[in-house]
Amino acid sequence: MKAELSPRMKVFLYGLMCVLLVPFVFPTWWMVTSSVKPISDIFAFPPQLVPQSYDWTTYQKVFELQPFVQQYWNSAYIAALVTLGTMVVSSMAGYAFARIRFPFANTIFMIVLLGLLIPSEVTIVPLFQMFLKAGMVNTHWPLILVPIFGAPSVFATFVMRQFFVTLPGELEEAARVDGLGRFKIFRKIALPLARPALASVAIFTFLHSWNLFLEPIVFLSSADKFTLPQALTQYTDAYGGPMWNIQLAAATLTALPVLIVFIIAQKQFVEGLAHTGLKG
Amino acid sequence: MAEVTLSRVRKSYGAVDIIHGVDLGISDGEFVVLVGPSGCGKSTLLRMIAGLETITGGDIRIGGRVVNDLDPKDRDIAMVFQNYALYPHMTVAVNMGFSLEHRGTGKAEIAERVKWAADILGLTHLLDRYPRQLSGGQRQRVAMGRAIVRDPQVFLFDEPLSNLDAKLRVVMRGEIKSLHQKLKTTTIYVTHDQVEAMTMADKIVVLNGGRVEQIGAPLDLYDRPANQFVAGFIGSPSMNFLTGTITAEGFAAPGIVLPLPEAAHELRDRKAVYGIRPEHFALDDNGVPAEIVLVEPMGSETQVTMKLGETQVTGVFRERVSLSPGAIIRVRPDLASIHLFAADGGERLN
Amino acid sequence: MAVAQENVAPEGRASSPFWTVARRDSLAGFLFIAPQLIGIIVFVLIPLGLVFWYSLHEWNVLANTFTYTGAQNYRMLIEDTNLLEVLGATAIFSAGLVVFNLSLALLLAVLLNQKLAGITIFRTLFFSPVVVSLVAWTIVWGFLLQKNGGINGMLQVFGIEGPNWLREETTAMISVIVVQVFKNVGLNMILFLAALQGVPNELYEAARIDGAPRFKQFRRITLPLISPTILLTSIITIVGSLQVFAQIAVLTQGGPGLSTTVLVYYLYQQAFQFHFFGYGSTLSILLFVIVAVLTFAQWQMRKRIVFYES
Repeated sequence: MKAELSPRMKVFLYGLMCVLLVPFVFPTWWMVTSSVKPISDIFAFPPQLVPQSYDWTTYQKVFELQPFVQQYWNSAYIAALVTLGTMVVSSMAGYAFARIRFPFANTIFMIVLLGLLIPSEVTIVPLFQMFLKAGMVNTHWPLILVPIFGAPSVFATFVMRQFFVTLPGELEEAARVDGLGRFKIFRKIALPLARPALASVAIFTFLHSWNLFLEPIVFLSSADKFTLPQALTQYTDAYGGPMWNIQLAAATLTALPVLIVFIIAQKQFVEGLAHTGLKG
Repeated sequence: MAEVTLSRVRKSYGAVDIIHGVDLGISDGEFVVLVGPSGCGKSTLLRMIAGLETITGGDIRIGGRVVNDLDPKDRDIAMVFQNYALYPHMTVAVNMGFSLEHRGTGKAEIAERVKWAADILGLTHLLDRYPRQLSGGQRQRVAMGRAIVRDPQVFLFDEPLSNLDAKLRVVMRGEIKSLHQKLKTTTIYVTHDQVEAMTMADKIVVLNGGRVEQIGAPLDLYDRPANQFVAGFIGSPSMNFLTGTITAEGFAAPGIVLPLPEAAHELRDRKAVYGIRPEHFALDDNGVPAEIVLVEPMGSETQVTMKLGETQVTGVFRERVSLSPGAIIRVRPDLASIHLFAADGGERLN
Repeated sequence: MAVAQENVAPEGRASSPFWTVARRDSLAGFLFIAPQLIGIIVFVLIPLGLVFWYSLHEWNVLANTFTYTGAQNYRMLIEDTNLLEVLGATAIFSAGLVVFNLSLALLLAVLLNQKLAGITIFRTLFFSPVVVSLVAWTIVWGFLLQKNGGINGMLQVFGIEGPNWLREETTAMISVIVVQVFKNVGLNMILFLAALQGVPNELYEAARIDGAPRFKQFRRITLPLISPTILLTSIITIVGSLQVFAQIAVLTQGGPGLSTTVLVYYLYQQAFQFHFFGYGSTLSILLFVIVAVLTFAQWQMRKRIVFYES
């Protein structure tokens, strides 16, 4: 596989990859360009790959029709809290499962892993009832608490455990001789060394929270509480049909920042995710 | 500085006994080497002294204080690990000062102590590097530096040289030894390499199967091993053993009769094991015949594998031997260096 | 510990302290896992128990009824003719998704594993939909797949009359599968790529010396060696496919008819649109059982299909 490729083979491979790229790249391009086209041009024939004229008022309407800034903030702060919280909870649990001997550790680990087996859709009905009783429906609490402590963080715990298992035991023993207790060993030795694993946990936790859709539409009912994915679907006309250009403008505003961060830090993203201990 | 005393120290995992009641006294400033084949419990014993393993029974005292239930950090010991256990995310200086940081030592004093240790070990120019930027020997030195900055009562070494190549091992062996002569701190050193044990120790403890086989000065162990295990373990190439019976004519082994010292005659008619080190054979026309199997010239000496009767043994000669396999030479065992062990149990007889 | 030192008796014999190293460690262990464990109990185990309890009830929120009906809901499950269609759609969706996703991911990973200049740029671009907001991605595709949308526009340039993708049963199913695959195939691609790069180069060199052609190398060396990754990604992808909700909700709302109503979407409709919480809970139990059985079955299969495990 690693043999030198002939020039003809190279041309073929580049060509193949460029064709395959179309469905991956074109939608994003189409989203951005269509969002600045006047409404009359977005379904024009032949399709305008590059906008012929621009209409920026669409972006104004995004903010006029809904409290979009508020919704943006909701999504951002929820995702940030969930990411931070998950990093804390999962690194602690992952560390304990990997490195501390305590009674019933294996049984408890099995119970926790059950969370991987149970799609959040299975428990959505009782969770709704529980949060309803707690008076937390139409607040952001369900979107914050469940991912941090519940099933979604189990995968993160698993990834952290897989990492901590590989940490040389001698380092911890040296730290004990040096006078550190459990918590300090965790904070000063194990955690700093776990940066790559933590980074991948942070990335997929953030994306998971940012993309959450079922939970917001179940738990939230007022526009100023909405998160972005939910808000995007609300730009509809009187008949319930989508206002395409405004939806696309809002979608662009939602997708682009993450996309830009990704392109800047793509190495960390891609290698971080390959790093999740899923290599088998 | 302190003495270390182990009395009837035991360790078991469930029903399996790992250490069977070890008694050991180490005086202040002594360099003691625990040696034995892998799985003999030497590392476990060291880790029990360090406090990294719990002890099942008996007492461990450091400087007169029973430390059985104390945390490693409260035992005033420092340890050098097999893989050095340097913190990868800290520079050499931080690595070395780390333990002081957690003992509430002031910044200025930490810097001073680190500088002092770095000077002794020749690490001063490496203080800002990270462990991954260091060679094996340098890492080893940092690991020692981390141990000495604290000026602990006892140094513990767990096979610290096993990851170095042969040449560097000899160099570091000398460095550890001279460091000990400089600091005079009580040191307990674990190794499976009997050469390390012989060259470094004030006192060697030979362990086997969780039991102490013999304790003594290196040359005492070499000259008068207490049993067949120690005899075979100490010395390289290792001692030859022939089984047979002590008779009036000498030691009757299969196919040959070997000479015995006068004193051995009182053991007449006993079944025994005849032990002789390779270097205690001499070429002598009046000696016993031996058939050459293999000749390995080393330059300074020649190692010859040969058959004494039916038993294959090794001899090391100062002379150069240039004979082919199958030829017969005559060798004479040095009567003063013959060891006799009981055929059952291997205890020393003479 | 200072406490332990004070306990040293005059003759130097310490009395055993209660907080031995092992005990302190156990305590630390429990404290470390406590947030996760409590979270799992409160947000997974209790809800799982509740969902089973609910499933034994006839519960309509609007009518405010909550009566114990035993296995009534489960009988309804069997008699529900819609459910058969829903399960059929779910099966087609999941199977199509897994096959398309894994083969595309493997193809892309093999391409990205070639020695070509600028390969990281391609890797970045193939991966990029993963980080695009899911609903944004779905909205654009919905836009492209309109009767007069971008895709049909392109087809028309070549004189082809495209279908109304989201309004015809077959094309609607294909559409939701395709949209989902292009969104997430990058994840599996990266996992495959990591696995491919983990195959020691020596093996290929040995195979070349043995004269094995490229295709044979792939079939006899690459595939067996990355089989653990294939198994793992297929488990993740199948379980993930059963949770696809946003795409369906945005693109087709389960239509036309029930053709794209997968189990999760049906569950959502029953519980939160029609307010049948009891029956919705029964569907949740069904979903749980399906996921558990599939995971277990695939795990059992690993003995037969995984050639090598590190």
